[in-house]
Amino acid sequence: MVRTTSGSRRILKWIGNGLLVVLLVWTLLPFYWMIATSLKADREIYGFEATLYPHRPTLAAYGRLFGTTPFMKYVRNSTIIAIGNTVLSLAFGCLGAYALARLRFPGRALIARGLVVTYLVPPALLFIPLFAVMSVLRLIDTHQGLILAYLSFSVPFSTWLLMGYFRSVPLELEEAALVDGCSRLGSLVRVILPMSLPALAVVTFFSFTQSWNEFLYANVFVNSVEVRTITMGLSLFVVEDVFFWGPMMAASFLSTLPPLVMYLIFQRWVVKGLTLGAVKG
Amino acid sequence: MLVRRPDNPRVAISAGPRGAFREDVLVEAPAVGRPRPSAVRRQESWLAWGLLTPTLLVILFLVAYPFFSAIYLSLQDKMVGAPGRFVGVANYLDLLRDEVFLRTAWNSVLYTAVAVGLKFVLGLTMALILDQPRRLNNVFRTLLFVPWAVPVVIVALNWRWIFDDLSGFLNNFLITFHVTSDIVSWLSDPRLAMACVIAVVVWSGTPFYSMTFLAGLQAIPKELYEAAEIDGASTLQQFFFVTIPRLKTIFLTTVMLSTIWTATNLQFVLILTKGGPASRTEIFPHLAYTTALGARRLGMGAAISLVFFPVLVVLIVLLTRRMLRSADE
Repeated sequence: MVRTTSGSRRILKWIGNGLLVVLLVWTLLPFYWMIATSLKADREIYGFEATLYPHRPTLAAYGRLFGTTPFMKYVRNSTIIAIGNTVLSLAFGCLGAYALARLRFPGRALIARGLVVTYLVPPALLFIPLFAVMSVLRLIDTHQGLILAYLSFSVPFSTWLLMGYFRSVPLELEEAALVDGCSRLGSLVRVILPMSLPALAVVTFFSFTQSWNEFLYANVFVNSVEVRTITMGLSLFVVEDVFFWGPMMAASFLSTLPPLVMYLIFQRWVVKGLTLGAVKG
Repeated sequence: MLVRRPDNPRVAISAGPRGAFREDVLVEAPAVGRPRPSAVRRQESWLAWGLLTPTLLVILFLVAYPFFSAIYLSLQDKMVGAPGRFVGVANYLDLLRDEVFLRTAWNSVLYTAVAVGLKFVLGLTMALILDQPRRLNNVFRTLLFVPWAVPVVIVALNWRWIFDDLSGFLNNFLITFHVTSDIVSWLSDPRLAMACVIAVVVWSGTPFYSMTFLAGLQAIPKELYEAAEIDGASTLQQFFFVTIPRLKTIFLTTVMLSTIWTATNLQFVLILTKGGPASRTEIFPHLAYTTALGARRLGMGAAISLVFFPVLVVLIVLLTRRMLRSADE
């Protein structure tokens, strides 16, 4: 019986290897097509002469992207908004999470529940009334408005994630600090935060990439080119149903880089935070 | 069922799944220090509310208030830039008589069910493959998870270009290798459009499943498999009697989260097909979007986005319970 198991395991291994190749092709093909297109001249992109790989690679599409489109403006706006959102999410998240993890007060359980519910309410439900709120507050077409809108998903997430992590920091360490005359906030900064670096990494990653990648709010709350983010700007490279695929793919490639690099750096910690700490282990 | 342990009141014994007992440190136990005078406690309470103020403001003004105002809005005939009139449930009644809406309802169910189902199967396959011992597995894992890090808009635009009638990769490839002689209109053929949209959703969403499933697989103690093997269980039996039961919680959480996100994501449809051809790929969030911002009917748009909310509520309630439980572990 044991021999059969090892035999079937060998078969499984080869099935696994075969499927792995299929999955890799399926996963990587769109990236190939994106990068290949960005390196082609228009002649190779459209019509009967279209090619499957760039015969004469050129950076012309990148030149057009930087020379004739407001792409750099979009990059600037996305960066401002993503960084602003990340900083605020970290700050609000740490303060709130500390209160929920370490202080005793009436209403605590209710707030913890509220955080999860808030995180799960999808933006598709909120964008219409939020549009009304933003109009009243005159925050349409401002960086602040978009940063604020993104807080609606990043703050509940960060607070929740950090709360779980803060709880796992041994109480004794904090008690020692408090006995030594450290204030509550002092012990948060000096004891808890240094021990929660992985959780802070996850919050940074999620706040940044979610703001960078967000499209719905960016689309609804911003019209002006001066505030437009990359995701919105990209979808507007379409002029009268004509797509400029060369510069568009060049822009797609470049705008994928920041979240991709962050994913490569943070991937060790990110998986743990994926489902809001619902998946243990 | 919680029973406090007599020797230590801060530890509770609770009945876990399948009769197993579990000891938990009680969450309500005082965080730091021993019993304190009420003045200290009151001070702590003030500090807590102070620290939570930004978070509470976000919850109240950016989620709770908009949510309730969506309900109120859905009962009005409000247009963008004009005051609304209260019309009761007229918007909802209009929807029930609207053919496009009924088609959208069916599309949304189909779209969500098929996409979630495929992501699940593909995600589990991916996780099982990556769990096998293999050289360079870290590299393969990183590569297979990359779609997860790509902005959805870019995914959708990229695939729109792959599906392009005249110069896209698919037609280009099929014609070069003589699989077909005619171009296939992937996104504008009523029979193909939905399948294409779902393919893109699956491409983008599968890594999330693989990541959580793989984390679950790797948390299963190897001794369980060894014990099963000694008992003569085949590989298949090990899979069904060791692996699957151990992953059940993760399966549920992942599927519920993903159902919420899949059902409410309008970006794929917006960029790939705009709901066409002939509303074949129209789904609720996209219809709400075009109604509210395209046709500028905010009230009706809010009503559409709220119609699918009851289903989400069930998922949200179940998930919240799960997450609170797992946070207390």
